[in-house]
This record gives sequence, C-alpha cells and structure tokens, in this order.
Amino acid sequence: MTTAVGPGGGGIGGVGAIYDRGYRPYDGEHGGRSAARLALYRASIRRALGLRRSWRQKTAPFVLLGIAVIPAIVNVGAKYLTRDTVASDIEFFTYREYIGVSNALLVFVALTAPDLMCPDRRQRVLPLLFSRPLRGSDYVLAKVGAMFTILFTFSFLPQVVLFVGQMLVTEDGSLTYAQDNAELVWQVPLAVTALAGFYSTVGIAVASLTGRRITAGASIIGFFLVTSIISGSITGDPERKGYEGSLGGLVNLIDLPAVLRDLVFLGHVDEESQLSGVAGGGAWALVVYLLVVATAMAALFYRYDEVDR
Amino acid sequence: MTTASPLLRTQGLTKRYASVTATDDLDLEVPRGRVGLVGANGAGKTTLFRMMLGLSRPTSGSLEVCGIDVHEDPIGVRSRLGYMPEHDCLPLDQTAADVVSTFGELSGLPARAARQRASDVLDLVGLDEARFRPIGGFSTGMRQRAKLAQALVADPELVLLDEPTAGLDPLGRGEMLALVARLGTFGISVLLATHLLDDVQQVCDHVVMLDGGRLVVSGGTGSLLERTGLLTVDVGPNREDLLAVLADEGLTASVINGVVEVQIHGDESLDVVRDVVARLGLPLHRMTSRLTSLDEVFVDRAGSGAPS
Repeated sequence: MTTAVGPGGGGIGGVGAIYDRGYRPYDGEHGGRSAARLALYRASIRRALGLRRSWRQKTAPFVLLGIAVIPAIVNVGAKYLTRDTVASDIEFFTYREYIGVSNALLVFVALTAPDLMCPDRRQRVLPLLFSRPLRGSDYVLAKVGAMFTILFTFSFLPQVVLFVGQMLVTEDGSLTYAQDNAELVWQVPLAVTALAGFYSTVGIAVASLTGRRITAGASIIGFFLVTSIISGSITGDPERKGYEGSLGGLVNLIDLPAVLRDLVFLGHVDEESQLSGVAGGGAWALVVYLLVVATAMAALFYRYDEVDR
Repeated sequence: MTTASPLLRTQGLTKRYASVTATDDLDLEVPRGRVGLVGANGAGKTTLFRMMLGLSRPTSGSLEVCGIDVHEDPIGVRSRLGYMPEHDCLPLDQTAADVVSTFGELSGLPARAARQRASDVLDLVGLDEARFRPIGGFSTGMRQRAKLAQALVADPELVLLDEPTAGLDPLGRGEMLALVARLGTFGISVLLATHLLDDVQQVCDHVVMLDGGRLVVSGGTGSLLERTGLLTVDVGPNREDLLAVLADEGLTASVINGVVEVQIHGDESLDVVRDVVARLGLPLHRMTSRLTSLDEVFVDRAGSGAPS
C-alpha cells in the first residue's frame, strides 16, 4: 500500500507530500530450519571476526591471524634470501611444529568464545533466537561450527602460506617439493581439525556456563591451566633422567591436541611428551580426546535444549 | 492449515511448575484478528506465549496455533510467528539494521531479502533514520520499536506482543498502540499480552482474560462492553438544576466525575432526560449510554469465578 497525500488533498503535485509507504507483505522464498541454522552460523562468524562492528572488535582476530601467519612469511622470506647458500637448508620449524602455536590459539578462544556465547545469555537474546525455526541443537552446532571454522582457518592458512612459499622458493622446483611433501596434504588438515575441534567444543562449552564475558574468558584459560598443573604434579618433569611416562599426561588438556597432532605426523607419541613411554599412550590420548569433545557437546546440547524441562 | 483456522485453540491446557500452576485446564478458541490477552502479573500470559512458541511443554492438554499442533510441529509454528518479548532482548552493540536483518535471516529469509525487509519494517515502526545506530544508544521507546520490527521482519501470520507498551511514556504508548492497531489492516494477526485493559480496549477486537492461570472470559470486545443501564449527560456546570428536575420526574441521578449519570428504564427515560434538558435551556455537550469498561468486566467475571 502506498499513498500520497498533498496539502489540502492536492496529491503529489502540491508543494509537499506525506508518503505512507505502509506495509508490503513478503511473498518470496522462506527457508526452514537449515536456513535458520546457516544464518546463525554466518552471524556468529561475523561476530567472532568483528565484522559489522567497531574496529576494537576486529583487533583480536586479525592480530591473531597476523601472529599466526608472520612466522610462515619470515620462514619463506629467509629461504628466499638464503637460496644458493649453505644456510638455505636451515629449517626454522617443521609443519608439525607450526601447528603447535596452541597458546596463541588458547588466548584467542578465551577472547572469542565468550563473545559468541555470553551476550546471548546476558542480553537475553536466547528467547528471541528460539522463537525462530531453530532447535537448541541448531544453536549449539552453529556456535561450535563458527568457532571451529575460524580456528581451522587461522591454523590452516599459515600452513598454506608456508607450503606454497616453500614450493616457490625451493631450488628443487615446485613440483618436486610438492611430490616430496605430498603426505602434508592430509596430515595438515587432519591435525588442524583435531586442534580446532578440541578448542572450539571445550571453549564454547566453558563459555556457555556464565553470562559474563570476563568470567568466561578467565574460566577457559584457567580450566586448561589447571589441567596442565594437575598433570604436571602427577607426572613430574618428563625431561628428567629415567622418566618412563605416565598416564597422568592424559589430564593435560593443553597438550592433548598436540599429542593427536604427533600421532598424525609421526604415527606415535613424541619423545618429549608426558605420555612418551606409556604403552598405548597414543590410543589413550585419542580416547580421552573423544571423551572430552563428546562431554563438551553433550553439556552444550543439554544446556541449550530450548524447551523448558 | 488454512487461514480460516483459529488463531489459537487449546483443550485442557495445563502447565504446572514445582510450586505454581501457570495455566489451569484452559479451553480456548480464539479467532484471527487483534486479540488481547489480559491478566495481572502471574496470570499465565507469558507461559501461554512460551507454550505457543514450543519453548515450554504443557503438563497436559493440547495447543494449536494457526491450525498447527505445537507439540507435533514447533518449527512449523515458529516459522509463522513473530515474537516481541517484554524484556530487553536485542544485542546492544549492533545497529538496528543489522539486528533486524539478522533476525530476518534467522526466520529463513535470504540475506538480500532480509536486508530489504529490515529497511521496510524499520521505516514502518519509525526508526528509518536511526537504523544505523547501535541499539545500546536507543531510548526505551526506540528499543520497543526495534523489538517490534524484528518481530515483523519475516512477515508473520501472527505476532505475539508481550507488554509492548511497558516503560513507555503516554506519547510513546499511544504511538505503539497505533502501530499495533495498524497491523490488523496488514493482514497480520496480533496477540497482545498486557495487564493494561485500556490498551486492549483501544486496539483489540477480541479479549481473553486470565486470572491465576484460569480463563475468566473470552469474547469479542464489543460484546463484553455491554450497556450498563446508565445514561451519561454532560451539561456543563449547571448539574444541580438538572438533578433536581430529574428527581421530580422520578429518575435517579447523581454526579460522577463531573457529569450526570441517570438510571434509565427504557426509551421513555431518554425522552424525559432530553425534554428536561431542553426545558431548562442547558447546553447539552454529550448524552451517551455508559458502557462497562474491561476493568469492570474483569472484576465482575473474575469475582464470580466462572469462565464464560
């Protein structure tokens, strides 16, 4: 409905006109539950990256991305500058080691997961979200999926930069480098998936327990640190002479993704790990990993069941 | 589901919490249109909304919204509804345009259509110039309008409005009620929960009154506002003259709130009052049958305890 009323009913040809644009019904496409879930996932990614928000909200994610990518650029640059010299064989770090920037990721998770979860609870947005064609499980999957996507991207992108850069500057030729390192094509995505999956589920689950961002962030860091301290007090120093390994290493949730990474790249637990020397240590680590992820998801599904119990 | 199906149909709808019965054996059939859901705080209005949205499971009984069984297809119901909660519920650090378009997408609209619809409904509720401002900087009235906009963005069949005038000044309240009244003309049914009977009387064609989770009365607003047998006569300051002559004519009259109220017995009484006013040469500003107010209906029916 559109009407135009001019002065004295003179219509739009008069000096001025007041337009009542009224209301236009919508008769276009109307997606269902999957469209709503996808929309929440996209909105969560935008929120985590600070898109459509002030520059302050953009700082943390893009500083982290810089921190993650710069070592790869420096590595490739050094390779390029030292080509045709003996120094060209020096490796600053391996692909496996490069996935281990978990402390930086942990800080990022502690900043981002609360931002994804806490305002919805604190500002009481949840009833509005669940008045849409969404189930509680959709909410959980969208939030964990958004966190996972960002963590995966921020961990995987530097690896791609490193790989492509090395390919371009290697003396043996790009194709030869790619063929020699073909196993990275599955190792890197798998290890990064394990890392991102772990931090996203646990981070989101811990953040869901409170409506205060600062409390949630501190809880995430505290939770991981406490497991590390408990584990350290059980196992002692793994680098001491005569250390034979201890299942207490399984309690260390900061290192658990790194153990999975080592299983992917090395096929066994690394010698410097707290689990080194434990019979079936790798299998135990995998079991604990799956248990932690499953428990975090179960807690989230329970907490975000949208129906009153 | 057809557009002919009632807005809301419940049978024996009961919701019990640990120590409270929020709705008690509620049997209702409410037609489409603008419907007021009236009751004091704790009457069960918000609980009924939550059950309509499938967010709260009834202890017993059944509930259909727009012809859809909520228990069987809560997602189908939510796809057709817009909801405006009573409390603040919008992300404060995002602009109105972002929030409303995001909720449009969450209702299943494609991104581009959601942005367009957000622009349209923000214009409709009077926030067109404030659409790119963060909601955290909005006044209470603007936040209420933004909440209404997000409820309308996906062009729902029915909007559930929970105390939409709460916290508004008289001007803002009037504007909000005018907006709600307009929704009916757009083909959108409205279920307006409030404890302000005046609001309902102004904009609703049907009223459902709840008290302590029980149905007090459900019916058309017009049919509830019955004649009281009283005639209101406004003749300005010379009321005492009128009272004296009416008493001589055998009519009982009194002055209430500055106007004369006359107990009438059929059309003959109306003629008598008219003739007396003319004979005394009084200025007749107004002469109307006094209707009951919804407050009186509520007090009367809630006191009798029998739903009707």
